[in-house]
Amino acid sequence: MKIQKEALAGTLESSDLMVKVSPNSGIEIIVNSEVNKQFGAQIRSVVESTLAQLNVTDGLIVIDDKGALDCAIKARVQCAVLRGAEVEELDWSKLL
Amino acid sequence: MYSSLEYSVVDISKQQSVLESIERLLHLAGLELDPRLSVFVIAIVDSKIVACAGIDRDIIKCVAIDPDYRGNNINLGLLEYTIKYANEHGQFHLFLYTKPENKIFFRSCGFYPIVEVPDLVVLMENTPIGIKRYCQQLSLEKKPGNKIGSIVMNANPFTKGHQYLAETAAAECDWLHIFVVNEDASMFSFADRFELVKAGVSHLKNVSVHASSSYIISKATFPSYFLKEQAKIDKAYMGIDLLIFRNYIAPALNITCRFVGTEPTSEVTNAYNEAMAYWLQDSQVSSMPVIPLIVLERIKENNFAISASRVRALLENQCYDEIKALVPPTTWTYLQNKYM
Amino acid sequence: MKKLRRSMLFLPAANAAMLSTSFVYKPDSIMFDLEDAVSIKEKDAARLLVAQTLQLPIYKESGIETVVRINALNTPFGLKDLEAVVRAGVDVVRLPMTNSAEDIHELEQHVERIEKECGRPVGSTKLMAAIESALGVVNAVSIAKSSPRLIGIALAAFDYLVDMQTERGDGTELFYARCAVLHAARVAKIDAFDVVYSNVNDDAGFLNEVNLAKKLGFNGKSLINPRQIELLHNAYAPTAEEVEYSKKVVEAAEEGEKAGLGVISLNGKMIDAPIIARARTIIELAAVSGVRKAI
Repeated sequence: MKIQKEALAGTLESSDLMVKVSPNSGIEIIVNSEVNKQFGAQIRSVVESTLAQLNVTDGLIVIDDKGALDCAIKARVQCAVLRGAEVEELDWSKLL
Repeated sequence: MYSSLEYSVVDISKQQSVLESIERLLHLAGLELDPRLSVFVIAIVDSKIVACAGIDRDIIKCVAIDPDYRGNNINLGLLEYTIKYANEHGQFHLFLYTKPENKIFFRSCGFYPIVEVPDLVVLMENTPIGIKRYCQQLSLEKKPGNKIGSIVMNANPFTKGHQYLAETAAAECDWLHIFVVNEDASMFSFADRFELVKAGVSHLKNVSVHASSSYIISKATFPSYFLKEQAKIDKAYMGIDLLIFRNYIAPALNITCRFVGTEPTSEVTNAYNEAMAYWLQDSQVSSMPVIPLIVLERIKENNFAISASRVRALLENQCYDEIKALVPPTTWTYLQNKYM
Repeated sequence: MKKLRRSMLFLPAANAAMLSTSFVYKPDSIMFDLEDAVSIKEKDAARLLVAQTLQLPIYKESGIETVVRINALNTPFGLKDLEAVVRAGVDVVRLPMTNSAEDIHELEQHVERIEKECGRPVGSTKLMAAIESALGVVNAVSIAKSSPRLIGIALAAFDYLVDMQTERGDGTELFYARCAVLHAARVAKIDAFDVVYSNVNDDAGFLNEVNLAKKLGFNGKSLINPRQIELLHNAYAPTAEEVEYSKKVVEAAEEGEKAGLGVISLNGKMIDAPIIARARTIIELAAVSGVRKAI
């Protein structure tokens, strides 16, 4: 799966995150977090595994985190990717 | 939390009462209404407009909140709504200019500083890698050499003056990068100006012609509503423009100097040349290397310095014969086909 | 002990902060709302967020039942919501605007298909019907009896009152609907939930309504503010006197059993099986919620 167009998901509220995706060759992930020093690596690994589950091969993923739980990170990344890849039919076995 | 908090989009050119509320809100925050704005995102609590943010294409302007409603994350929601609205209208890459003291707030909205003119203004974009990406792309055009020159020109249209500047600079350098200002606010379209520059320097073998990016900013869209005094506005605008050049564009291409022609006819452009010397050569304003500014005397024709503005004036008065002496043959052919 | 369903807390499913903290208020059930609380543009985002939130072990660990209000099946979102939440392991699916038993049968067929597809035990997804129209109220009995998956029916006032050409007032306007829904639930032996009280700043008004619902016999109430949970649980908690009396009833019953007595009496009054059963329920309830505190 490739990111075809720019897309956004999430909010700027506390305990949430905003995910921006755009077309790219290869995967690039940039994490900016208010809790970056403590949890930057953890956030990145959640993002990476979420992308891997969806077989995303190309895309730039920018995360602005406001202290979200892993489940919210996963959901927001999935949403931004699915919007950016213009996927309508979901394969839930890859999402849960 | 306000139970009745709502966000919505308004066109102030169509809603006089909303316009008045927004102006009142801006005045409370010490801001003026930017004349280019018509679309605003507003926050409403109990039927009262308590915060606003304007959208000018890809620039967010005039962000203000009623002092009584600060500290409730209304601003954060407002910016989120604004970003999403812009996205839905095809604008993903957003910019904003603000006072340096607001930098932290906008940072929490996903905006990242590009350059800052101390005490006056900071330019931010909604991606941490926008300008970095642009520079990576630009650096593919990097050329070898010790002395790499640069000229930024509007070329509206390309004259013998521009050509002389390019020829002289190219002769002094291993390579010369010319940037043509990429906006369609001039008499001649960007596409035409760009082609005329390319044609006019095609005989020079060590020159590249680039379109300036969205990072070489347009005076037309530069917001002045929070600076008010003309001297501050000019300083802020030129500071932003030149710091982007010094901190990002020059390093990407290993540019070592910048050329500019003297401006005997225009005080404004002269002030720009002075500012250029300051922002490019002062060792305090930037951590990046100094870019020496080389000022070349303009060439004259019949005791008049050749300038694009003179060509435009002659064109308007249909004095075609006089134009021929001021422009290279490539521009002359273009003007003949288009206007004569 | 039967699952308590006194408080069902509504949460807008697009709100990550609320979703990730709501369990600290310990409602009996949490209802993630994919319907009215989510704008059209955010339906996809909210669906994913709920699906991932349902994976949190905290709900199972703390015994909070998860409910998702899906969009109606005749919208472009309803079936997508259902696909997501059944696979994500939700305890209960709440169907809005249930007008007839057929609505539940249609939902049931989809749920069963999805359960089979994803390997979830068939029948493990429970259902709940929200009644929001005059037709729904009239059909309440057949709706309540329509499926073994149904754990309860809820009255929702807003659309119902529009349908009835009236508006929210002192409760008179809901009198018939409350009674009808409650009777239907009792006939079908499932739970009944009263309407949302939307003025979150009026505790006295809220408690009046809670006491009315409790007296009528509702198992609980839908809530929109976590603050209301404690008030509600307290109002449903037995009083110290009730608990004291119930303990005596149970003691007397146990002694009577030991002695092989056919008729048991306490302080000269006969106590029969329903009274004993009710006393046991009160003691169990007191164990969960404590005794009622004076406010």
